[in-house]
Parts: sequence; structure tokens; C-alpha cells
Amino acid sequence: MKKKVWCAVFAVLAAGILAGTRLAWSRGKEEKQQEKTAIRLGILLYRGDDTFISNVRQALEEQAKLYEQETGIKVVLNIEDAKENQITQNSQLERLISLGYDALCVNIVDRSMASAMIDDAMAADVPIVFFNREPVEEDLRLWEKLYYVGADAKESAVLQGNIVAELYQKDPAKVDRNGDGKVNYVLLEGETSHQDSLIRTEWSIQTLLEGGVPLEKLTGGIANWERSQASAMMEQWLEQFPGQIELVISNNDDMALGAIDAIERLEIREPINVVGIDGTPQGVQALERGMLLGTVQSDRTEYAHAIFTIAAALALDEDPEKDIHLTDEKYYWTHQTILQGSDLTEE
Amino acid sequence: MEQFKSRMLFLVSVVILVLLYLMASTNLIIHEKKTEIYPISVIVEDSSDEDYEKLRKGMDRAAEEFHVDLNFITLYEPNDQEQQISLITREISDGAEAVILSPAMPVQAARSLDDMMLNSPVVVLGGLFPNEQVTAGISIDYMEAGKLLGTAVREDGAVGPVYLISEGLDYGYARELSSGIQQVLEAAGYETILSTLYMEEDCRKLIEGLAASKEQRAVLVALDENSLEAAARIMDSSREYGQQIKGLYGIGGTNRILNYLDKGIIRGLVVHNWFDEGYLSVEKAVEAIQGGGGIKEQIIMDAYYITKEDMRDPAYEKLLYPID
Repeated sequence: MKKKVWCAVFAVLAAGILAGTRLAWSRGKEEKQQEKTAIRLGILLYRGDDTFISNVRQALEEQAKLYEQETGIKVVLNIEDAKENQITQNSQLERLISLGYDALCVNIVDRSMASAMIDDAMAADVPIVFFNREPVEEDLRLWEKLYYVGADAKESAVLQGNIVAELYQKDPAKVDRNGDGKVNYVLLEGETSHQDSLIRTEWSIQTLLEGGVPLEKLTGGIANWERSQASAMMEQWLEQFPGQIELVISNNDDMALGAIDAIERLEIREPINVVGIDGTPQGVQALERGMLLGTVQSDRTEYAHAIFTIAAALALDEDPEKDIHLTDEKYYWTHQTILQGSDLTEE
Repeated sequence: MEQFKSRMLFLVSVVILVLLYLMASTNLIIHEKKTEIYPISVIVEDSSDEDYEKLRKGMDRAAEEFHVDLNFITLYEPNDQEQQISLITREISDGAEAVILSPAMPVQAARSLDDMMLNSPVVVLGGLFPNEQVTAGISIDYMEAGKLLGTAVREDGAVGPVYLISEGLDYGYARELSSGIQQVLEAAGYETILSTLYMEEDCRKLIEGLAASKEQRAVLVALDENSLEAAARIMDSSREYGQQIKGLYGIGGTNRILNYLDKGIIRGLVVHNWFDEGYLSVEKAVEAIQGGGGIKEQIIMDAYYITKEDMRDPAYEKLLYPID
């Protein structure tokens, strides 16, 4: 009999605890759902003055305004620049989580450090859409509310290689300027820690070789995606290899523009083909001036639209796939196209 | 008896455990001290927040210190005064405890706010408005800033006409600036010409026209950042323009403008401490929330005229490139 009393006491206590916990949880959820006339999105950038990132940022702001006008749902965007410092970015993330942001869009500084950010986000149930700098797959698989938006680096590289290969196939003299049967090139690479640098370099060169371009590498360097660094390197190479450089292969447009700056500064008369990737407005201007042979453009509006659509859906507790097609339920790859000077004149 | 004691002990332990659980995981027994967070909205006059980097750094610093949740809002279209006013209403009704406003058209904004009942205080990045809830104004003295520019143009020995270019005198504080410039230059016998440039194309036409004319070399003074950037961009695109235009002057401090100053495209610039302006605006907004109104305050910040050579001066460097 006494045993039964004890059991009853325990049962009542357990039920009380469960009910209390459940009540607190459901109150929290109710409060969260009541706030859905507005969404709060945090945008964390690895470096705000990176041209490509700055363009995506602008496009994200445009997307937010468009969404607000179309849906009537207020969008609070908080854009933070980590200035290439992972510790700064971690504290920015913690702050936005503590302020109750609904979803975060993260352009991570160090892709190998994603797990700490993911842990914080998971604990607070705040989804993350990573973009441009891809965390390792194991990290992305840690939680179902993690996504990635980016451009396929291999595709960019193959398209970049094709720009030169096709020109060579049409008229070898336009690439092999001195007609010695070799195309002397220099290579400008992005950060070593960025997954796209290695892939872009590898596949661009491979595509050129497969396209029958007789490549001969003069030199190369890591300019960390930056125009000024690329410009300084190119200036040095132009002095080191006078009249020999025929082709500049750059992992992005900013570094390609840096190479062009050096060519213009040293008033080099011999034509040098320069190819980039990204299709930034500045890159397109260089195409128009005939200084850039070609670039591979990822549509910044599509890029920002994908990031925003996923983040907004997650902020509203909706399934992102209802508005956008994802690869492997986690990835969105933006479309890329070749842009050449001839495309612009045709328009 | 022994059995009863051990059971009682067990029961007490269970009750203690339950109490500990409740204390640790809920707010029922020990109420956690809650830091009050002040939601404050900042409404600027542009459609992108990219050019407010320095101001935001100051605001962010103050936001951390004063526990503020800042919501930085840009407009659908730049300088849309009507949207700014509707955003003030929206933000206050959405729970903003204070609003910081950088007015697109200060005179019109003051007039619109005068008729409105505001439930939260407003801090203006500019001159104070008559509305009771506008508790603080923070800005430079634009008339004095204009005089600085006028003096610089005169001292640089300009001889030709001085074109004062802007998006319109009603936007920002272009009218006050132009008055200051005109006061100095007209007293010195210069001819000043006000020119409204609605689009960059208008600016290009003006510069091309001046470059083509064989008259005395003109001077351009931009009364707002957008006109200054547009003029600098155009002058940077061709060396010929620089030969016929004696100098480009203006006001502002975006990184693009500073690059043009560094390149020598812009000859002189009026700048101020945007970081402090941002910090002070948040501080004043928090004070207004805590004090629930009170004395109105107009803070006048110092303005400085700088040239390319001053950019590396540590005093100005700190102001032009504030660190986080």
C-alpha cells in the first residue's frame, strides 16, 4: 500500500515537471510564431571591401526591400563585417543570436572553424545559410538547419579555361603572341584557405591543356583575392619577364584588375590576355575597355536571391525547398556564364 | 521507526532535487536579473548602408556599451523624404524605444514631424526640430563648413567661376553649405554658379562642357557626397578634364571619396568625426529613453578642411579610418 503511495507521489512530481517544461517550451514557441510579421536576419561578411562580397551585400539589401514590398513582412537586416578575423565573426554571431535574430547568413572567415559557430547556432535554434566560403561537408551535416549557397568552383574554372582555349583554337596567334609555340602565363591565386582557389587553378589549367593550349608557366603567386596585392605582384613579374607574359590567369576579377592596373601603370605596349572570374561590375567595365579578355559571371542577383530566400523561409519556420531547388537538400549552386567583350558589343 | 526515517530522508531528497531543478531551469524561484535592451532604429537617407561605415562603427560601439539593439534602416529610393517619415511611424509602432534620423530633406522633415504625435524620442543627425520628442540634434555647423571650403578655394588662387554642384539645395544641408561658400567667395569677388545635377549624366555634361571651353579654368565644389563622388569618378576617367578644371572640392568621407583625395582627383575636403557622431547619437537616444524626454540639446561637432597631405596626419587618420 505504502509503495503505491510513493509511486503516486513520484508520478505526480514527474508529471508536474514535464508539464512545467512543456508549458515553458510552448510559450516560447507561441511567442516566436507571433512575431512573424517581421523577420530578423544577420549577415556576417568575412571582408566587406571584397568587391564580389560587396556586390552580393548590395544585392541582399535589394532582395530584402523587394521581399518587404511584396509580402508586407518587415525585414531587419544587420550586416556585420569581420575584417578577416574569425574571432570577431564569432562574437558577432554570438551577439546576433543573443539579440534573437531569426536566421544568419554567414560568409565565414575560416571555413575550418565552422563547427564552433554551428554549435552556438544549434544551441539557440538559429539556422545558418553559409555562402561563398564553404564549410567542410561534415560540418554542414551536423544539423538539418544548415545550408550553403555558392558558385561551383570547378564549373567557373572550366568556363574560364574555355575562354582562352576557344580563342586559341580559332586563332592561335591571338594567344601565342610571339608565335614561339608556347603560351607563357602567370597565375594569380586567391587565399590558400579558400576551397575555390585550388579548384579554380587546377581545373582552369587542365581545361586549357585539354583544349590544346601549349601552356608554359612563368610564375604565379597568392594575392589573396586582392587587387592591390595582384597589382604589386604583376608589376614585379612584368619587370622580371619583360615581353614574355602572354596570358594572365586569375582566380577572380579583382586580381585580374590588379594585373591590368600594373600593365597600364608600366605602359606595356604588347597585348596581354587577362582572364578573371566573378563578372563583377568593375570586371565588366574592364571588358568594355578591352583590357580583360573574359570573365565568368555568377549572377549576383540570383546569388543573393538564393541566400535570402533560404534564410527568410527558415526565419518563418518554413521549408526552404518550397521556393528554391536545393542539391542534396543543403546546397544551392548559382548559374554561371562566360562574359567576353564581344558579348557586350553584341548587346 | 528506522524505516520511516530513511523514507522521510528519501522524500526530502526528492523534494530538494525537484526544487533545485526548478531553480536551475526556470525563473520561478530565483528571478534572473534581466539586462534591459533598448531597441533603437536608425533611419538614414540612402538606399544602402555601405557608406555609413564610420558612423556605424561609433553606433555599434555605443550599442554594445549601452545594451542597444540597433536596427539600421535604409530607404527603397535614396532621399525619399516621405518614406523616412512613414518609417519613423512604423518603427515606433513596432517597438523602437527611440529613433535616430538622418533626414533626407531636413526642412520638410521638421515640418512633417511637427504635426505628428511621437511616442518615442527622436535624435536627429542634423539640426534640432521643433517637435517635443526630438530631443537632440548632432551635426557640424554647415555654414561654417561652407566657409572653410570657400576659404580653401580662395587661398588656392582660383581665378575662374566656382560651380556649386548638388542634387538640390533641399537635400541634406546643401543650402547652408552653399551660403557659407558664397559668403566667403562673393566677398572676394568670385562668381559662383549653383548647378543642380539630378543624375550622373548631368554632371558629365557639365564637366565635359567646362573641359571643352577655352575660358578660365573653373572650380567645382560639391555640396553633397553623391555629387562629389560622381564628379570625381568622371574626372578620374579622363586626364583632359583635370587640365581645364582647376580643382574639385567637397564634403564627405566615404572610402571612395578618400581614395579620390589620395589620388589627387579631389583637391580638398571638409570632414568631421563620424565615429563620435554615431556614438553620441546612440548615447543621446539612450539618455532620452531613460530620462523620458527632458532638455533639448544641439551638439555641434568640429569640422576640418583637409587635403591629400593631411591624410597621413595621425590626428586625421584616426578620424578618417577609425578602428573597431
